Amino acid sequence: MKKKILCVCLISVIYSLVFSACTKDVDFNQINDFEVSPVVESSLIFLNEPANKFYNNGVELTTFQDSVAIKIFKDKFIKDHLVKAELVFETSNSIDRGFNLRVDFLTDTNTLQHTFNFSVPASPTNSVLIYNYTEVFEGNELLSLLATEKLLFTLNLQPGEAINESTLGSIQLKSKGIFYLNIDNTL
Amino acid sequence: MKKYLGFILYLACVIGFSQNKQILYGFSEIPQSLLQNPGGKVDNNWYFGIPLFSHIHANAGASGVSTYDLFADDGVDFNSKLESIVYDLKPNDFFTINQQHEIFSGGFAYGPSYNKNEYISFGLYQELDAIVYFPKDYAVLVYEGNQNNINRPFSLDHLNGVAELISVLHVGYNKKVNERFTFGVRGKIYSSIINLRSLNNNGTFITKPGDNNVYDHIFDLDLSLETSGLVNLTEKTDFEPNDLTKQILLGGNLGLGVDLGFTHQIDKQWYLDGSLLDIGFIRHSKNIESYELKGDYIFEGINPFFPEVGSGQTADEYWTEIEEEFEDLFTIDTVKTKYTTLRPIKLNASINYAFGEKLDKECDCTSEDSEYLNRVGLQLYAIKRPRLPQVALTAYYYRRLFNGLNIKATYTLDSYSFSNIGLGMSAQLGGLNFYIMADNFLEYNNIYDAQSVSLQLGFNYIFN
Repeated sequence: MKKKILCVCLISVIYSLVFSACTKDVDFNQINDFEVSPVVESSLIFLNEPANKFYNNGVELTTFQDSVAIKIFKDKFIKDHLVKAELVFETSNSIDRGFNLRVDFLTDTNTLQHTFNFSVPASPTNSVLIYNYTEVFEGNELLSLLATEKLLFTLNLQPGEAINESTLGSIQLKSKGIFYLNIDNTL
Repeated sequence: MKKYLGFILYLACVIGFSQNKQILYGFSEIPQSLLQNPGGKVDNNWYFGIPLFSHIHANAGASGVSTYDLFADDGVDFNSKLESIVYDLKPNDFFTINQQHEIFSGGFAYGPSYNKNEYISFGLYQELDAIVYFPKDYAVLVYEGNQNNINRPFSLDHLNGVAELISVLHVGYNKKVNERFTFGVRGKIYSSIINLRSLNNNGTFITKPGDNNVYDHIFDLDLSLETSGLVNLTEKTDFEPNDLTKQILLGGNLGLGVDLGFTHQIDKQWYLDGSLLDIGFIRHSKNIESYELKGDYIFEGINPFFPEVGSGQTADEYWTEIEEEFEDLFTIDTVKTKYTTLRPIKLNASINYAFGEKLDKECDCTSEDSEYLNRVGLQLYAIKRPRLPQVALTAYYYRRLFNGLNIKATYTLDSYSFSNIGLGMSAQLGGLNFYIMADNFLEYNNIYDAQSVSLQLGFNYIFN
């Protein structure tokens, strides 16, 4: 008899343990707050040329222009999650001529969405002059960026002393894009 | 002692358990314990499992993190909890689920009527097993981006996981050679319904300061995912539940395996036993599809004014070439290569000591062949897993309460916790046997804080 009582007690203990597991408060709706904000940096355009590259067969070349098609902003993920972008240009000039870089943001049908340009001063003593420029895309500018399908780069040497084979110095341009993303639970 | 302390610490670092049935192991009143050791002790003359209800097993676990860590309603910002998890977890931390469902099973003893010392058992069960390791570097890259990680190589080999759904048809033979020694062997035919495997991943992604431009982005990709059976679900629109039944009944990708086991009765009170399970393989040759992502590329940006690649190229052509390089790099190749998977081999071993003889009521003495009511022992369990073997160490106490009711309590050291208490019982009413067992009882005051939970139950009809 004693054993039976013991047995019933034990079984009740086991059952209460198995079936009465309790919980502290958890809130699975917190998943709705999910948000990560990675920042991605990527190299963009570059240039590193001596002065005589701007001189060909006795003629000074003052304007260079070319365009590239850009597909990245058509991507739905980028459209949905890009919240801010910056284009950062680092230049160093040791030629005694200033130059201007213009970047036009175009659609496939050449509708201008956005444009900016910056000028780098000449270096009369051929010492290396550093000049940096940052273009920030937020709000309406960001929308223009996201509508961009083509970039048109125009490099113009500014007026100054004529360039020939023996002109000293060089132009260096490095650039990167900084893309601020915000990924939330709508992913 | 120091020597052993080192070993125990090592165990503490690598242990883990999934598929560990530490309560069922050695519980000879339950016929399904023969699946943990085909050379275990047999208590019954014959049995059959109640179809579909004879063995239901479910286990889920995560090392290093619990549901409560992430979802506690404690006012702490969800994203800061997520952040600390992303940074705390290591690439060897894993998430695992294992589920088994016995469809039918049975067994019978045979031999001379005065000494039925041989036993045949058989059955069919379905098993789902998955383990995914925490892809640490991928998570950090998604979490932070590369801006704060210039010069940091992101290791692409952090992506590791396997998942499979199989059915297993098995027949086992058990022989009690003499009072001291019993051995057993079980042959298995596996039918794999779905298999996913991504183990041999390599490569890095790194952003470094560049020469020509601000950064060089160096991609070295060597990733692959092998699948079999998956195309049935994703591509065949005429796939019906009937087809699944066919695959369970040996219609999938087939494999062979064997379990081995023994029991050695050292003396009347001490015995030692051990088993090796799932020494086997599955050959995947049907419905296979593998995906590969391979390539090297260094991207430094573009030079639109003086493109150096080839002459007379416009910047657009040059850019198109770079785009194509990128597309090639990230194009996933689909191949159909047959492959073989090894089953996760498991080791069980235990040393056991029985004590406390049953007193005979009539004479208040112990009879000649009386059985012991108590047993204690140590069990070791190990399973081969993709990154590291997982090991668990269990101490147990077994008690025979009265005829037909037995209980077992276990304490297990594993990679989820050092406080895993398990309880199981087997009850016999007439011919009907019912058993239930679960572990991590200490976590039951808050189930969400348990990093692992495991439950087994079933009904059998046993004739002794």
